[in-house]
Amino acid sequence: MIRLKTMLAATAATMLSLPAMAQTEVVWWDFLGGGDGVRMKALIERFNEEHDDIQITGTTLEWGVPFYTKVRTSAAVGEGPDIMTYHLSRVPLALEEGVLSPITDEDLEMAGLSGDDFFDSAVSAASGPDGTLYAVPFDIHSIVLYYNKSYLEGTEFLDEDGNLTGIDSLDDFNRALQHAADNGSTDPLSFQTGGPGGVWRVFYTLLGQQGGEMIVDGEVLPGDNAEKAATALQVMRDWRDAGFIPEQAEYPASVALFTSGQSAFHMNGVWEVPTLVDMEANGTLGFEWGAVQVPVLMDQEATWADSHALAIPNQPAAPMSDEKREAVMTVIGWMSQNSISWASAGHIPAYVPTTESAEYQGMEPNATYASLAQSAFFDPRSEIAGVASPAYDVALNVMVPQIHGFFDTDEALEQIRDELGRALR
Amino acid sequence: MARPNKTLRRNLIALSLVAPFTLTFLLVFAWPTFKVIQLSLTDAPLIGDGTWVGLQNYRELLDDRIFWVALKNNGYFLVLTIVPTTVLALLIALAVNRLRGWMQPFILAIFFLPYILPVSVVTLVWQWMLDFQFGVLQPMIEAIFGKRTAVFRDPTWVMPVIALVTIWWTNGFNVLLFLAGLRNIPTELYEAAALDGATPRQRFWRVTWPLLWPVTALVLTLQLILQLKLFDQVYLLSQGGPFNTSQVLLLLVYNEAFQQNNGGYASAIAMVLFVIILVVSVMQFQLLRIGRHR
Repeated sequence: MIRLKTMLAATAATMLSLPAMAQTEVVWWDFLGGGDGVRMKALIERFNEEHDDIQITGTTLEWGVPFYTKVRTSAAVGEGPDIMTYHLSRVPLALEEGVLSPITDEDLEMAGLSGDDFFDSAVSAASGPDGTLYAVPFDIHSIVLYYNKSYLEGTEFLDEDGNLTGIDSLDDFNRALQHAADNGSTDPLSFQTGGPGGVWRVFYTLLGQQGGEMIVDGEVLPGDNAEKAATALQVMRDWRDAGFIPEQAEYPASVALFTSGQSAFHMNGVWEVPTLVDMEANGTLGFEWGAVQVPVLMDQEATWADSHALAIPNQPAAPMSDEKREAVMTVIGWMSQNSISWASAGHIPAYVPTTESAEYQGMEPNATYASLAQSAFFDPRSEIAGVASPAYDVALNVMVPQIHGFFDTDEALEQIRDELGRALR
Repeated sequence: MARPNKTLRRNLIALSLVAPFTLTFLLVFAWPTFKVIQLSLTDAPLIGDGTWVGLQNYRELLDDRIFWVALKNNGYFLVLTIVPTTVLALLIALAVNRLRGWMQPFILAIFFLPYILPVSVVTLVWQWMLDFQFGVLQPMIEAIFGKRTAVFRDPTWVMPVIALVTIWWTNGFNVLLFLAGLRNIPTELYEAAALDGATPRQRFWRVTWPLLWPVTALVLTLQLILQLKLFDQVYLLSQGGPFNTSQVLLLLVYNEAFQQNNGGYASAIAMVLFVIILVVSVMQFQLLRIGRHR
């Protein structure tokens, strides 16, 4: 009872302390629960401090299917947020669902932005087939190769500055992994081998480096793409057979293997950069590390990538007032122009002026993989691909067992085509 | 002459007593059920109406390989859980029933504790205990089977381990039901049997077992319905993998409806599951009644 009274009093006090002037409240939903989520909360707080007339109320929801389901159902009844984060890989499905409100040129103008301010690849991923923009790209994120220098000292793979060098082919990389294993690394290359995300991202990178395509004209792996997919799967299988990658590592375990110093290399998203930066700053890391763009292991440069974007839900049951829309666009504009803070979460800002700033270009380790924005290989444009899609399910359901030897590469390939074909029907 | 009036009054009172339930039932059960049937005959997305497609969804279902795999897995899970959990609960109840004083509620509480945990906590606990790299149970698995096993990623292990987790989680409730049943058996019957020279084994099979049968039948039926509705554990532990060895009907419903936006098709699967549960549980209940009257 006393607690209840205190709470009531506190609520009343909060309400009284609000300024009397007209204020627009912007409801913000995101799925950023990790290290980057902390940076996003700081950004939101800064926005609120700088703006008296607009206040963002942020909520972080569960990443993946739960987030997208909630957006979908709440928007349908007009209870959705005013602004939300969205994966650009989910745009094709979003268009089918009609869940995104188109962003017009006037909207962009209100935000002080224009389409040319963003990387082309991100803008086209955020647009419908007719060129209508459905979300404002916020970042590009991909996987990178993290490395632990202590396993490579004295080998050809570190240059005189202590940076990774000399990995220009799969053979080079395998030799480096062997070196690390000989030097006592128990799992020389860690990535999430037991879950959908990690396996999909590595597979898709290897496929892209051979110039392969997952889905072409509504067909799964047509023509020689099947062979390329088989090669990509076989590379991971060979790593496993050689004992280079951990067995069935779940996401947190795969990160822990690297941060605890057991793995020499780690293939994971740029979003783990803050984890390593913070650990190094606190003196709990215990080794020197670096991160580079995933080297060309096959034929050409390509790395799996996705984009976080800011979007407005389409809510016919509760149309947004012009005033609210202007506030929302102000938020989007401010976020883009201040995306340098987001870069410290490891991401590459999609807003080109930020990436051209001196501050960004001096930022480590971001600068070493800044070129990623050009070689980004986005998920196939299909309603069955993207975050938490059937493509991710297939990674867990078929690729994970294939890597661990439960069935042959050919058999896996057949299953992949079978299941994704089923989802496409 | 006062008679019709009285009947009317009685009817009105009766009506007012059943109305709250009837209305709630119609609103939150009958109406949604009707909507699901209706949806299953359309190509509706997750939200909103679709166009009428007749029995198309059901025809597609018969050709859907994953549907049959899921159905088979549901059956496998029933085999893995229903009888084992019932036998185990009975054994535990018999043992707890022999305890006296504070020991009895204490031990009962220990067995009941997992049941009050939310499923997310249960699965997290087991996920960590069985984690391939860092799980505390892995050295034990290694000692017995010769190698570490990522149980939720292994086609042979996945269903039995999910069954084990489920039994660990829900068994306490069955123990409670059996214990209540055991306490309902008059002690005079045991005394009489003992006087007639019945052995403990005879006392169990001739007194306890037949008198406990209604409870056993109840536990079996409740378990059947509960385990057919398997979803949470699979969704949280294995997501249906590896290669669909733990794919079950409700997970399929979820994937179709929420992930792939096929509300109509998902409704058709849900309807099939509904009919299966209805038929199987009615059949089982009838069978168990025959067993009782034999």
